Amino acid sequence: MLKLSWIAFKNIFRNKRRTLITFSVIIFGSTALLVAGGFIRYMFDGLANMTIRGGLGHLQLVHQDQLHKEEEKPLQYGLEDAGKIAGIVSGMEGVLGTTARIDFMGLLSNGDKSVIFLGTGLEPEKERALGYENEVVSGSSLTSEGGRFQVMLATGLARSLKSNVGDTLTLMSTTSEGVLNAVDVYVVGIFSTGITEYDERALRVPLGIAKNLLATEKVSKLVVGLRQTSDTDRLHDLLAARLSSAGYPLEIRRWYEMATFYQGVVRMFGAIFRILGTIIFVLVVLSSSNTMLMAVLERVREIGTLMAFGTTRLKILAIFVIEGVFIGVLGGALGSAAGLLTIKLMNRAHLMMPTPPGNTRPFLIIIPVVPGIFVGVFLLMIATMIVAGFLPAMRASRLKIVDALNHI
Amino acid sequence: MKTVIAVEGVSKSYHLDHTKVRALQDLNMTIAEGEFTALAGPSGSGKTTLLNIIGCIDKPDSGRLVLDGVDVTERSLNSLAGMRRERLGYIFQSFNLIPILNAYENVEYPLLLTRMSGSERRRRVHDLLERVGLADKRRHKPGQLSGGERQRVAIARALVSGPSAVLADEPTANLDSVTSGEILDLMDELNRERGVVFLFSTHDPRIMAKARRVVRLLDGKISEDSGAQAAAQAELASFRQTGR
Repeated sequence: MLKLSWIAFKNIFRNKRRTLITFSVIIFGSTALLVAGGFIRYMFDGLANMTIRGGLGHLQLVHQDQLHKEEEKPLQYGLEDAGKIAGIVSGMEGVLGTTARIDFMGLLSNGDKSVIFLGTGLEPEKERALGYENEVVSGSSLTSEGGRFQVMLATGLARSLKSNVGDTLTLMSTTSEGVLNAVDVYVVGIFSTGITEYDERALRVPLGIAKNLLATEKVSKLVVGLRQTSDTDRLHDLLAARLSSAGYPLEIRRWYEMATFYQGVVRMFGAIFRILGTIIFVLVVLSSSNTMLMAVLERVREIGTLMAFGTTRLKILAIFVIEGVFIGVLGGALGSAAGLLTIKLMNRAHLMMPTPPGNTRPFLIIIPVVPGIFVGVFLLMIATMIVAGFLPAMRASRLKIVDALNHI
Repeated sequence: MKTVIAVEGVSKSYHLDHTKVRALQDLNMTIAEGEFTALAGPSGSGKTTLLNIIGCIDKPDSGRLVLDGVDVTERSLNSLAGMRRERLGYIFQSFNLIPILNAYENVEYPLLLTRMSGSERRRRVHDLLERVGLADKRRHKPGQLSGGERQRVAIARALVSGPSAVLADEPTANLDSVTSGEILDLMDELNRERGVVFLFSTHDPRIMAKARRVVRLLDGKISEDSGAQAAAQAELASFRQTGR
């Protein structure tokens, strides 16, 4: 069989022009898939990173009733022992850090106009240490220190109230006891999340101000940052066991379970990539099976000769299928090289994507070299050539010897 | 002498458009070990059809074919691959060498289909290429060889597996007269050396003259068989000598 494989290998170079055409098709298909696959992976990774660093964190710890029951008062199902829980979590290997947050809402007023806001009370230094900081458009970031109550407004909210850095505004909300409360805050900075709708309503204050405003010691959640995103599932399970045994039966949510937008994007682009892969698969199969069929037709008499000397139909079939495999392997390897080169060139060209819907900025295209995609595309090309070569090979193996020998 | 090929009452018809062509009609013939026989006759007389049936690459409509004592009539063509591989060799008018393989590899090909060891394979191929005078051109591809050289490679390929019979369909038709003579001489020598049956079709009278037995076909029947005549004469001589 090894020698027959050698014959199949030699056949590849019999008609160089035709082989070149087949290789070109495979190289083009491979490159298209590698670039598209890499770009989609880049978007997934970028979106995941943006989602995590945008404040979601890798894991979120909340009271077990928070997700299943409706709160009658703010923070009714908040975490009481956030400090102790944070101590347990922070000591685990693979955990970068934790930060507590309070989600609240209310009215923000400049004296003339009041608008609804979605606020987050947070621990600025811990957030910064975890890298969960949005772009500061003007002014500076929050700090836990300082005598005056600080606030950062999102761009849309600041525009709505015509507020700038240095202005004083009034935050109004309901305390955990259901009483209306208000604090004056001083605008230290304007930030942007990159999502227009969110920027219309978002503001951030140090955790202490939120606690003060809501008159509580509870927090809404504890956000956990990990060193590796790939550790999410492992640490989720580990953390659940550790906290449960410590008497904190909390609900632990993974970042991707909360990121519905991310999930939607992954589903959509995954489907697009599969459709693209199918189209390229069909195109390569059609064009390659045509050239493989030509290879059979021009070798009909030769096939007859091989069969006359006792080559079985199965071996004739095998010779052509192996030929297809060789073309797939060589074409796939060349396609991988071409894909790699294209990716490098595209990355060096610093191409920009237009601003996506709902975002405020264009973004730089960086296509990663993902080994898994390279292996997948390489195997797909081999499979493609096996499929492309199979029907012509079947035709070759079914030839009548006498007819084949008389073929002109 | 042992019978290598026995054709008994073989008939074969083809449909050419709407016309039925009777290529062979109730044909009987035997070929004994070591024969060097020419099948002669005009185009359409049935020479190639007979060679194809004997070569197990076509099936008769009726009749029997016995090769080396094995009745192969009822076997499918695919199941006859082993018979073709081990007991038959072929030489074609257009040489039918594999263009991507060199002379050595072309000769070696039939052995790749067997379980023969690499060393034995190399020895056989080397010996035969030496014998047909192409040892120094073993790395040449068919395109780099003359017509005569190509047919020598084809002869070596036909003999390499040690067949009982070599079937050659117009082996010299694409060669000039001098080369044709050389090829026929080579086949004759190999036949005498190895005792392998050579059965070849031709309509060249000069080639027929070199055959030790000529079977003439006409309209799918044997019109003349010098072997049968010789056998009859031998029988007559024997009868005269013994009086029986």
